[in-house]
Amino acid sequence: MPTTLRIALLAGLLALLSNLAVIGFIYLRTHDEAVATVHRQVIEQGKVLADVYRSGGASALDDAIDDTMTYADPQTVIALVSPDRREIKGNLETVRAAVLAPPEGYRTALVRLRGQTTPREAALAVVRLPNRQWLISGRIAGEGLAIRDTLERSLLIALVVAGLLGLLCGVLTARYVGRRISDFARVANRFSPRDLSQRVPVSRAGDAFDRLAAQINAMLDRISALMEELRLLTDSLAHDLRSPVSRLRSAAHAAAESGDPAEQEELLGSVIRQADALMRILTAVLEISRSEALTGRKQFNWFDVGELASELAEMYDPLADERGASLEYERPARPVPLFGHRQLLAQAVSNLVENAIRYGSAGGEIRVRVQPGERRIRVEVGDRGPGIPAERRDEARRRFGRLDSSRSDEGAGLGLALAEAIAHLHEGELRLTDNRPGLLTILELPVHAEARAA
Amino acid sequence: MGRKILLIEDDRETASYLAKGLGQEGHSVEQATNGQDGLFRATDGTFDLIILDRMLPVLDGVSVLKALRAARIDTPVLILSALASVGDRIEGLECGSDDYLVKPFSFAELLARVNALLRRREARVDPAEHRLTVGDLEIDPLSRSVKRGGRKLDLKPREYLLLEYFARNEGRVVTRTMLLEQVWDYHFDPGTNVIDVHVSRLRRKLDEGYEKPLLHTVRGAGYMLAA
Repeated sequence: MPTTLRIALLAGLLALLSNLAVIGFIYLRTHDEAVATVHRQVIEQGKVLADVYRSGGASALDDAIDDTMTYADPQTVIALVSPDRREIKGNLETVRAAVLAPPEGYRTALVRLRGQTTPREAALAVVRLPNRQWLISGRIAGEGLAIRDTLERSLLIALVVAGLLGLLCGVLTARYVGRRISDFARVANRFSPRDLSQRVPVSRAGDAFDRLAAQINAMLDRISALMEELRLLTDSLAHDLRSPVSRLRSAAHAAAESGDPAEQEELLGSVIRQADALMRILTAVLEISRSEALTGRKQFNWFDVGELASELAEMYDPLADERGASLEYERPARPVPLFGHRQLLAQAVSNLVENAIRYGSAGGEIRVRVQPGERRIRVEVGDRGPGIPAERRDEARRRFGRLDSSRSDEGAGLGLALAEAIAHLHEGELRLTDNRPGLLTILELPVHAEARAA
Repeated sequence: MGRKILLIEDDRETASYLAKGLGQEGHSVEQATNGQDGLFRATDGTFDLIILDRMLPVLDGVSVLKALRAARIDTPVLILSALASVGDRIEGLECGSDDYLVKPFSFAELLARVNALLRRREARVDPAEHRLTVGDLEIDPLSRSVKRGGRKLDLKPREYLLLEYFARNEGRVVTRTMLLEQVWDYHFDPGTNVIDVHVSRLRRKLDEGYEKPLLHTVRGAGYMLAA
């Protein structure tokens, strides 16, 4: 059975059932009410007549029956029946024999009144008098029944209408749901590396489907961005490995050709250096993808960022000094605890410091600062060098996004990309801003990165 | 001073290259080509050092190491691995190895680490090593005071740690990554010559004004403190 039909039938059935419950409740309430009223009246009347007989005897009862027949409304049933079941007095034409049988009391039966042609249902009180005669009194329940009949008819119509409406509702819902779901299915089906532009349409209704669509679209955006990044990465990796590999190859070739042992040794040394540089690139690329994939979180621990930064500042101080810059670090008065990967954060911060030394030493002063915060900690490295213009900062943090084109320079252009990946591992971010003048790099890290589902 | 070294490595080319090099250094090298065989030989317990590849057939290096440590065999273990990320290195060290070296490495780097580990084993046998002396250099690890030729040297805390590490490996090559790992406890590869700068500062305080230099540069490998 197709889903649409199943949903429609289910919705119809549910509507029918819920309406049935309401209608049944109404029916039971009104029915009981009407029957109870007639019941009470009839019993009362029977009791009154029996009392008349008990206190005044047969003649008094005769009078009472006459009075009733004269003055009461035409719905009243009254009859005195002999023990052999012949009517002595009253307005009852025929009655079924079953009425005149023990036990006494209340019952309903079809009766025909004198002067009428059709038998009608009546509520009757049957009393056996001490002289073995039957006293039947009661009311034709016609009006009660009539109300009940119309009620039942309208309830039945309501039920049918409710069922049909439910079915219609179900069909519409099912078609709507089906249409929305097929949007999702179509996008899931068509989204591929060849077509990353597929997105689920979002209606203006703002319903659950739209929220789901928005989330799925956001996911597809991320996937596209990752695919794009991966493509760029492979391209630039292939491109950037080409030059060191070709340098390595020509050095090895020259060493093989050279006849001079000293020159040969020199060239072989260069081969090893090039190979090491290649390995460094590959390790950094690996480290970046590991961090972006959030592996390494199981090595997270609490440690003091202030102490780490001070250690690194001390480590790089002589290097900065040698390049003609001073490295300033002011350690916060209190420990700055952070839950993270100490080794990787050390690497991230050292990358920032190395960058500042490499490109900002000319400015003279490099400043490392740790700013504690209740929920986020900032590690800042600022230099007074030429800085990076705002429009090129995104480029600078990209893998292999080294801004100067001199490829023989030390560093593979992966430093900022790696620092950013490590920030992401800690659910933090890397920001590049203007140090007025110079470049200010900021690692902003949450104190305790929640282990959010990767 | 030849020692017994167990080399557990499945790549034949690497294994024979290492065995040859270590043999030339005077060590006797026994080889195993898979984890199970390696573990079997290692439980013998008579080796001075085990060089263990991390990725091995039958039984991987980390499992071999855990089994060894569980059997209370405390032979120093140097892990060789192509897994180069900082996380991998930390994990390798945390599972009970004494050192971790990432492939590809230079033979000089391996040799320096092997010698440092063998030396550590030696030092364990001889605990009465309060004072360290190298030529006319005297180091007192308890008071962290350093004298050369009777004259006190004024060293910063990190310079002292650097010198003490050199002195404990007297006469042996110490590489830059060994210094970064042992003196700073960092396991990443800095892209600058930051270690060299520290060593040359130490050298200035240590050797300037003295006739005979103690801290030597070993080309293509690292540094060495020797009288």
